[in-house]
Amino acid sequence: MVGEIESPEELDADERDALEALLQRLADDEYVLAERYTEWQVRAPTLESDLALSNNAQDELGHARLWYDVLEDLGYEEHELVYERDPDEWRHSTLVERPFAEGDWADAIVRHYLYDVAEELRLEALEESSYAKIADRVGKIQSEEGYHREHAENWMERLATGEGHERLQDAVDRLFPHALTLFEPVDEQTEETIVDAGFRTESLEDLAEEWVNTTVPFLDGLGLETPAVERVHFDEYEFEVLDEELPDKRGRDGSHTDAWNDLHDEFTRTYRELGRSEATKIMETAE
Amino acid sequence: MDVDTVKERAEPRAFSPADDMPEEYRRAATRMIEFHANSEIMGAYLERPFIRQAPSIDRKLAFSAKVQDEIGHGQLLYRAAESLGVKTREEMLDDLANGKGKFLNCFHYPMDSWVETPMIAFFVDGAAMRRQATLRRTSWEPYAHAMDKVCFEEGFHVKHGESILATLMTGSKKEQEMTQEAFEKWWPRIIQFFGPTDDKSTHHDFSSDVGLKTKSNDELRSMFLREYIPKAERYGLEIPDEPRIRERDDGTYEVVEDDLDWDEFFQIAKNDYEPGLGQINGRKAAQDAVQWVRDTLEWENVPEGSAKPQAAD
Repeated sequence: MVGEIESPEELDADERDALEALLQRLADDEYVLAERYTEWQVRAPTLESDLALSNNAQDELGHARLWYDVLEDLGYEEHELVYERDPDEWRHSTLVERPFAEGDWADAIVRHYLYDVAEELRLEALEESSYAKIADRVGKIQSEEGYHREHAENWMERLATGEGHERLQDAVDRLFPHALTLFEPVDEQTEETIVDAGFRTESLEDLAEEWVNTTVPFLDGLGLETPAVERVHFDEYEFEVLDEELPDKRGRDGSHTDAWNDLHDEFTRTYRELGRSEATKIMETAE
Repeated sequence: MDVDTVKERAEPRAFSPADDMPEEYRRAATRMIEFHANSEIMGAYLERPFIRQAPSIDRKLAFSAKVQDEIGHGQLLYRAAESLGVKTREEMLDDLANGKGKFLNCFHYPMDSWVETPMIAFFVDGAAMRRQATLRRTSWEPYAHAMDKVCFEEGFHVKHGESILATLMTGSKKEQEMTQEAFEKWWPRIIQFFGPTDDKSTHHDFSSDVGLKTKSNDELRSMFLREYIPKAERYGLEIPDEPRIRERDDGTYEVVEDDLDWDEFFQIAKNDYEPGLGQINGRKAAQDAVQWVRDTLEWENVPEGSAKPQAAD
């Protein structure tokens, strides 16, 4: 039933682990994507696109915060989750951690598009979550995400001619396999529990199928090829992600590409430098 | 309108694009607003690494929003500058990228550590607030109008900077010491923010006569010191021994000018200071790398037979 579970006390140990895994996937995706988006601040092609991508970054950060906040139900605090977890404890998809080559705006736009289609589908599958706080928060996030997908599609269309086309194709080739990891499980058992407990009402396989049937025809319409295009048939919806189409590192299982370690090191730098991890706020007087 | 008439009629928000302004006025106003717009962009460039390095999501959000606001201010100010008909936004942005555009001294210095962020976000922004508040009474109406929005948002930035400073100065002993060290490094630069004293300021007289500037450098610096010395002390910062500062009987402040490095200041003013050049060129490289996107947009936005591409977002 929608929102019937008010507190983790109503869950058994496996269900609590599954809830934690689901929330970490959601929060970490949003957080890490926002980190990458902010790299475009003061570096975007025009002042106007700079402002627009900054908005996206702040939206995603806000959503990450909403999800980390739900994780507090399970006894975590935001600063522990963001600043004190080891890099291999993060559960985001490798799509969001990949670095940008300087000036590769096409990469930012393709990533933005692939991610936000998935995000839309994922949120729909959480609208009727059995966990009350999840169902509560989906509406707020959805009100912002609709605009994101539109923004990404507009840019895809604008760049799809001339030099932009080739750059888009390169980005699709590079990012598509990583985007498929959005639908990888943390592990099979946990994934099964997520669906059985009704935390998410659709399986990852179903979400992947819908995603591929949305993105591949759209890309195809812009003359962009995907490795999966051969296997997407417009008269039948079925699609299964094949193991060989996935990258070695899949994020969800804690394995990440090298770029992630660098990124993690950068955003935890001040926290470490100030010694905040020592969990101290010893009030020493300056005199 | 001739220059004498301009001087006669000069008052807050007296002139707008509907007036036929003499070239001398338009050039002076363009130089001033372009400098201001460039400073917004280069300030944002200096602060952007700290979006990533912020030690909490709240601070990260605030830094991202602040940097975004500054780009927004730049956009607004370039528009106000363009309205004088001397230079287009593209020309001003190109000049900035090519090291010809001038901007605030403080944004030429590198910033390496989080503890330096309140030096900009509290002190420099606080100093900027002082000056900007007076510019709401400038004679070029589009500039004054832009200042209304800029001042409103800048108020939040200063509060954000003050909150970072308060956290650092009530944190561990190490945090407090690092912050004091950063303050000592930045304090002379912050005092130089207001530029050379009135008797040495090149553009002061004309700008003031035509109502573009409503307060002199000396007045602004005194106002800032009166307000910010006690604020710094309240947070436990010690004011460095140099430059020597003395309060006069009339409540204004005297600074021993020889204690400040004016050679460095003028080197910076000419865009010849090495670290500053690094920032200018770093930004240029980033801008060059996305030139292909702007080219795509221009191509898309040129309707047949039209001479000039429209702005695209």
